[in-house]
Amino acid sequence: MNTKRLAVLAAAGRNLILTIWAIFALFPILWMVLCTFKLDREMYSTTFFFHPTLDNYVNVLVRTNYFKAFFDNIIVSGGAVILSVLVGVPAAYGFARYNFKSKEFWAGQILGFKFAPEILVVLPLFMIYQKLHLIDTYLGLIWVYQLITMPFLIWVVRGYFEDISLEVEQAAQLDGYSWYQVFLKILLPLVKPGLVAAALLTFIFAWNSFMFPLILSGFSVQTVTVSSLKYLASDTVHYGQMAVAATITVLPEVIMALAIQKHLVRGLSFGAVKG
Amino acid sequence: MARIELCNITKRFKKITAINDIKLEVKDKEFLVLFGPAGAGKTTILKTIAGLEYPDQGQIKFDGEVINHIEPTHRNVSMVFENYALYPHINVYDNIASPLRSPLYKKDEEYIKKKVNAIATVMKIDNLMERLPSQLSNGQRQRVALGRCLVREPKVFLMDEPLAHLDAKLRHLMRAELKEMQSQFNTTTIYVTHDYMEALSLGDRIAIVIQGRFEQIGTGDDIFYRPANELVAKLMGEPEINIFQTELVSDNGNFMLKMLCQERLFALPDDVAKILSAKKVNKFDLGIRGNDIKFYFEKPDASFLTGTIYTIEPIGNKSILTVDVNGQFLRMVAPSDLRAEMDSTIYIKLNLEHALFFNCDDQKFVTRHVSNII
Repeated sequence: MNTKRLAVLAAAGRNLILTIWAIFALFPILWMVLCTFKLDREMYSTTFFFHPTLDNYVNVLVRTNYFKAFFDNIIVSGGAVILSVLVGVPAAYGFARYNFKSKEFWAGQILGFKFAPEILVVLPLFMIYQKLHLIDTYLGLIWVYQLITMPFLIWVVRGYFEDISLEVEQAAQLDGYSWYQVFLKILLPLVKPGLVAAALLTFIFAWNSFMFPLILSGFSVQTVTVSSLKYLASDTVHYGQMAVAATITVLPEVIMALAIQKHLVRGLSFGAVKG
Repeated sequence: MARIELCNITKRFKKITAINDIKLEVKDKEFLVLFGPAGAGKTTILKTIAGLEYPDQGQIKFDGEVINHIEPTHRNVSMVFENYALYPHINVYDNIASPLRSPLYKKDEEYIKKKVNAIATVMKIDNLMERLPSQLSNGQRQRVALGRCLVREPKVFLMDEPLAHLDAKLRHLMRAELKEMQSQFNTTTIYVTHDYMEALSLGDRIAIVIQGRFEQIGTGDDIFYRPANELVAKLMGEPEINIFQTELVSDNGNFMLKMLCQERLFALPDDVAKILSAKKVNKFDLGIRGNDIKFYFEKPDASFLTGTIYTIEPIGNKSILTVDVNGQFLRMVAPSDLRAEMDSTIYIKLNLEHALFFNCDDQKFVTRHVSNII
């Protein structure tokens, strides 16, 4: 009886802590959404009472080319992730399975691209891009986004490949499957949780990227992060409009994260190999 | 169906030589057992035949044709891996059906269903078909792996300790089942094990692998009754064979054996005495198995030696009795209901007609008494 009561108490305590944490984590988003309905003059009031208005939405969505920036962002971020998956998955397989000279050095080098401060590399890149006429193009941004997306994807997926025992691959070969069929039928389903999680996270990295699109594009190709700058006028900041832009910007990220939540949970590969 | 030849195969992993210049011919439809201690290179031999490891030197031939350059996919071999290597994302049925759905060995679904269910019944996993490998015990996984191997008809079956993770009862059952199936397979099989009973019961021939070399290749009787050297003799049988040094002395022209610090001399079978006396040395290692030593608690006659009981280990249907004779421990088989005090006196007699003799220096087999059993 006593232990049962303790268990109930423990569960209640756990849920309480999780609830507090959830409120803490979600509060900035809630605040941002509230801001979208506020007039600029009410922005600094700390109470929750204000006169709701849709002016900010009208200003952002109708009077500016916000949607162009939004779709540009989808194109460059989505394109960057697709390219990363196409190139990164075979690369991750190579790093996981083959032994070649200075393998760890090159793997570390690729990860190093992720650590390089963007501000440091963006100026030389600007000059190179000018020469190559890649400034302000979709391809240019998709290419430079590989610095953000590819290293992360390679490292996560490599870990998943390493978790698959070599014998599983060999067994499939002996079963009569060619290497490509083994890759598609056996390996890809097994790395899928990792691949989906990594692709989602890299999509968010690319989506949120600011420095590269700021310097390397801005006229014909403009991302939402850069276009949000428009709401910083020289004398005032339109927080309401910025909040609208930000809210719509995070929507795809939130929706995708919720939709593929179950893939983020790992554990498919366990049990295939002797434990 | 295939005759398999390994010609001077060597395989190194960096500086370690896993297989060292081995030669082997497996006849068509033969059941060959590779037997040896852990790390001897048994699995590497299998993987080299399957094409999963590439030999550094030597040739592999199927039916006389060199197949070194052929990809594993196209060698038409079927293998049970020691760590099962099941596909974690598909259920037991699909795992077993996998070879029959591949482009190379494609069959229609109706045939697959019949075949998979038949195999599953033999393997006693027909109630687990819907489960994922992660929901199985190790013994069940092993049977699924065996099922996936047996479901198609390849040129050769390669089995890497396929029964090692089953419990004792199931292992004996599956061993009998395999032996039964073996007669129907009509397929060359190479089977790796470190269980000497499996080796003796299943193998048409047994190849003893130690440190990447074949110490001996022969039938079960050859290996058990005429082991090539002391190492091989020690691998076979439970309890481990007793080996100790003896001296050949001449007693009025008769060659007798002096051993175990005894005053008296022991008579040898004539054929053994003749061969031993022809050698230039007079010291030999004598090997005698646990069931060739008789023991009594009261001295029946003067031919019995006196010793003291060191330990008794009951192991189910028998006990292993260790007796101390002047500092030499002798292990012997005793009935499981044997009850005796430690350190009590016991009288033993060695049956020298079954004794094996080895050289002292290189531990190679010299001779044994030839009786009607071999």
